[in-house]
Amino acid sequence: MSRYDVVVIGAGLAGLTTACQLAQNNQKVLVTATGIGALLLASGCIDVLGFQPADSMEPVKNPASKLDDFLAERPNHPYGLVGRANLEAGLNNFLKLVNQHGLDYKGDFNHNWLLPSAAGAVHPTCLAPASLAKGELSTGESMLIVGFSQMRDFYPTLISQNLNEQDLVKAEPCLIDVTIPRAGKVDVVPTEVGHAFERAEFRREVIKAVKSKSKGYQRIGFPAMLGLRQHREVVADLEKGLDKPVFEISALPPSIPGRRLYEALKEAFLQAGGKLILSGKIVAGTIEGGRVTQVQLETISRLKPIQVQHYVLATGGLFGGGLMAHQDGRVTEQVFGLPITAETNRHKWFNPHFVSPQGQPVFNYGVKVNERLNPVNGSAVPLAENLYAVGAILAESEWAHGRTGDGLAVATAAAVVKQITGNK
Amino acid sequence: MSIETLDDVTLSIWHQVQNSADLCVKCNICTSHCPVSNVTPKFPGPKFVGPQAQRFRNPKEISVDDSLDYCSGCGVCTMVCPHEVKVMEMNAKARYKLYQRRGIPLRNRLLGRSELMGKLASPVAPIANFMAHLKPLRILAEAVMGVHRDAPLPPFSFETFRGWYKGVYQKANGRKKTGKQVVYFHGCSTAYFEPHVGKAALAVLEHNGFEVIIPEQVCCGLPMLSNAEFEAACHNAQKNVNSLVKYARQGIPIVGTSTSCTLSLKSDYRHILDLNTEPFELVAQQTYDICEFLLDLADAGQLKTDFKPVEATLPYHSPCQLKAHNMGLPAIDLMEMIPGVKIQHVQADCCGIAGTYGYKKEKYQIGLDVGKRLFDQVKASGSKVAVCDSETCRWQIAHATGAKMIHPVELLAQAYGLTP
Repeated sequence: MSRYDVVVIGAGLAGLTTACQLAQNNQKVLVTATGIGALLLASGCIDVLGFQPADSMEPVKNPASKLDDFLAERPNHPYGLVGRANLEAGLNNFLKLVNQHGLDYKGDFNHNWLLPSAAGAVHPTCLAPASLAKGELSTGESMLIVGFSQMRDFYPTLISQNLNEQDLVKAEPCLIDVTIPRAGKVDVVPTEVGHAFERAEFRREVIKAVKSKSKGYQRIGFPAMLGLRQHREVVADLEKGLDKPVFEISALPPSIPGRRLYEALKEAFLQAGGKLILSGKIVAGTIEGGRVTQVQLETISRLKPIQVQHYVLATGGLFGGGLMAHQDGRVTEQVFGLPITAETNRHKWFNPHFVSPQGQPVFNYGVKVNERLNPVNGSAVPLAENLYAVGAILAESEWAHGRTGDGLAVATAAAVVKQITGNK
Repeated sequence: MSIETLDDVTLSIWHQVQNSADLCVKCNICTSHCPVSNVTPKFPGPKFVGPQAQRFRNPKEISVDDSLDYCSGCGVCTMVCPHEVKVMEMNAKARYKLYQRRGIPLRNRLLGRSELMGKLASPVAPIANFMAHLKPLRILAEAVMGVHRDAPLPPFSFETFRGWYKGVYQKANGRKKTGKQVVYFHGCSTAYFEPHVGKAALAVLEHNGFEVIIPEQVCCGLPMLSNAEFEAACHNAQKNVNSLVKYARQGIPIVGTSTSCTLSLKSDYRHILDLNTEPFELVAQQTYDICEFLLDLADAGQLKTDFKPVEATLPYHSPCQLKAHNMGLPAIDLMEMIPGVKIQHVQADCCGIAGTYGYKKEKYQIGLDVGKRLFDQVKASGSKVAVCDSETCRWQIAHATGAKMIHPVELLAQAYGLTP
């Protein structure tokens, strides 16, 4: 007897959105993960298609209209397998899911926000938290960009200068000195600033330091650390005190918008009756007769077999830990040992240019799947009908090329939820 | 020239506690989730004192970083780390080094010896309890030893669990030979403070047809380990494993009602105290948290389900020391098998007591601040009773909220109609 219908391996964007929707569709779902997934290392925005062609300097303004061109350039990208309908459904599902759980994401498939990045570059993204979306560059509204002199990871001057040089908006840096308890002893991390903003007296101090310098600017940008659970109250209070629109700019990890997203998805999942083992590593799985028969959970002292109907592999790529690159040139999948499309000559793993618009070949290595997202062997024969791979573990899904990672996660989630629940 | 591939060797070395710092990518996810550094600037955060400092630690030299002492050892850092860095374990080892330099204060030696205190105080429990709650004495104890005057010292039980078992229980029942055996590791809290938890466990196991063996055992050693007394902890670990390994060899499961005792048997002996011989591996493999054991029985269709309905919605806190078993939260599913029971899983990382941490004068308030989110939810639930698997967490939550705290196995015993 099993207490679950589905095991989702991995708690990143793909894993959690899949798990939430399955649990909301009355499936009994267990999520296992090796720690918190990559959500806290990402911007919290949903990038669907940012640049097309890849080396274009012009960001995509409407991802829906450029999807066919993108697939003509990258015919093997998994967007082609899941299709436009699943991508659109995935985005709509995501919006519904997170906005029902205390977040306020804005956007749709036919539009990209153009937001300032932590380096002052343009970040084209499809869905963004309202607080980040207010940094939209195409409005041309001038901005004051606030940073803290005690925090090394966010440079208002760098951002302002880069935005000004690109002639996008008029931007001015504003470095303030406020009371952050640990400053001077250790590096100030975003979470600490996020907690500080949840205290009224800290906000008063910030408002006092910023207000006089904000004259002549139409809006005020802060590093994306404006509160964790009380984010909305923090933004509202700052806007009231500063009498101007306030927005957030992505900062270095751990990402606070990513944290808010993680917490919202986790809450949605638990409320729908799901179970989560955060330190539960699945170390092996058995495939017999064209089906996965069980996976092995590594508890602190022994392996524990888990047997369910469906298995969703959402362990991520090389960065997320779903794949492992070895010294001898092998790239292996960590749970089932699935066949991986990879170049064993390590010299071919990388482009000569570190920040190549085409990304790096090594991030294209991954699990090949059919249109049901079942992993297949070299002859395109599915290996297990009840195993599905989603997100960054998929072959040919290099995310920097075109900026497609989050769209792929939500699209493959939508496709798998349909497969498992039988809903069309 | 051929280069030897070190791959698999390298990987296994990296996953050893002291080397796992090399897996750290400095993402700070641990710091952002650390219950302690989120409420006090005295603790810089697990990344700084863990993997970051680890790179500068010479194994032959003593530690210089005093802020390490503010780590509570809850292990949330290890749990949330996406890269399998053993942050808490690394910090526990470094704390041992730190106290080699500073010397271990009497207070820590005392807090590390709940068993000795139980042995001394239980026979005179009424007097000991009276004295433990005398304000002037507590103020004196705080001044002299640094045990906070308001910290939730549990009352000693006049009747010890082993005393009851050897006397009252065995005279009345004898040991039932059923062919299905299980070993019960009761730990110090059941022995000297809460014998009712052990009685409930015994009743539930016997109700399910098990012959319960209660072997010789000493304190698991975790209180000593977390107070940097590794030598004393190793001594106890060795004694326990010597006693338990013969059962493990026969494949007899060892179950415990204290999540921290079972975590010691499963993990800390091996991963922090570096006791890795075959007997330790065997005992680790055969050790179960009692709810884990009973839920496995249920999954195999072997758990009795003759529960009487209990109409109750109960807040449940999953202790850090349970989450570190890396197996999920079996108590919730188990308790919800009882008709009428609805478990409200409190969403909070840690209660703040962290074993003996919250008893210390300088850490008492930090402990309460850490647990605030948990206490608020328990109070808001309106329930007079709440559930938690770990004893020190139960005492802390009861202290902070006034709720009556029970172990999940007590609820099961009640539903089975067993009154131990």
